[in-house]
Amino acid sequence: MIRATALSCALALLTGAAFAHHGWGSYDAAKPVTVTGPIVTSKFENPHATITVRGGDKVWTVTLAPTSRMSSRGATEKVIAVGQTVSAYGYPSTVEKEEMRAERITVDGKTYELR
Amino acid sequence: MTDAAPAIFVALEQSGFAAAVRQSPWLYPTANVGHVVSLIFFAGAITVMDVRLLGGLGATAPGALLARARNFAIGALAGMVVTGFTLFSAEASHLVLNPVFQLKAVLIAAGLVNVAIFEFGAKRAVEGLAPGQSMPRRAKIAGILSLGIWVFVAACGRSIAYF
Repeated sequence: MIRATALSCALALLTGAAFAHHGWGSYDAAKPVTVTGPIVTSKFENPHATITVRGGDKVWTVTLAPTSRMSSRGATEKVIAVGQTVSAYGYPSTVEKEEMRAERITVDGKTYELR
Repeated sequence: MTDAAPAIFVALEQSGFAAAVRQSPWLYPTANVGHVVSLIFFAGAITVMDVRLLGGLGATAPGALLARARNFAIGALAGMVVTGFTLFSAEASHLVLNPVFQLKAVLIAAGLVNVAIFEFGAKRAVEGLAPGQSMPRRAKIAGILSLGIWVFVAACGRSIAYF
């Protein structure tokens, strides 16, 4: 029983990535992208703030940091407000199209590290 | 938010409570810390019970020790449920589709079934034992299953964020 439980958990952990829906392990750090454009929607929420950015003909969902970290780094709700132009450097999701996790963002010439 | 999830979880994520958890600067982090602190007490109490069922701490009277540890375990479990529900509600539609979360839910159910089987079965035989007497086989099985299942529940809990 224990062994079966151990096996199934290990199996789930190994295969999980293949059908993962959303999470922190599924970003491809080997293929960093920079998305620059106006902020279309902005959520200053936990567990992490999220913005959508129109970059060219695509609208990227950009996952940012927890709100407390955003605030302590100076990236307040006003900085990521709708209509601001942002440049987000980060890693594309391997699961969801046009979703990325931002390592850092630049707004009005100021860069905010989010790691 | 994803519409792929069952409607009840979409509704939970869209509820005023879940919105408050997301928008408050302190609710989510507090629930997060509270979940881990509850886990510390839960794991401690469960470990005392399981070790006793496996024959460790043999100098103690099992009935009294288990009763005391059970109170801690129940209180800590209540803390885990409240804080866990708070964390879950903020992202319910995504989490319910997360394979590791699903596994964790199944393992919690298995852990609680194991508790029920012990409480309605071997418990009576164990409670009356004097210090130093050997444990019945059923109690040992309950103890080893409990240790294994709850460790995996904790491991799955930590792994959810990575899938």
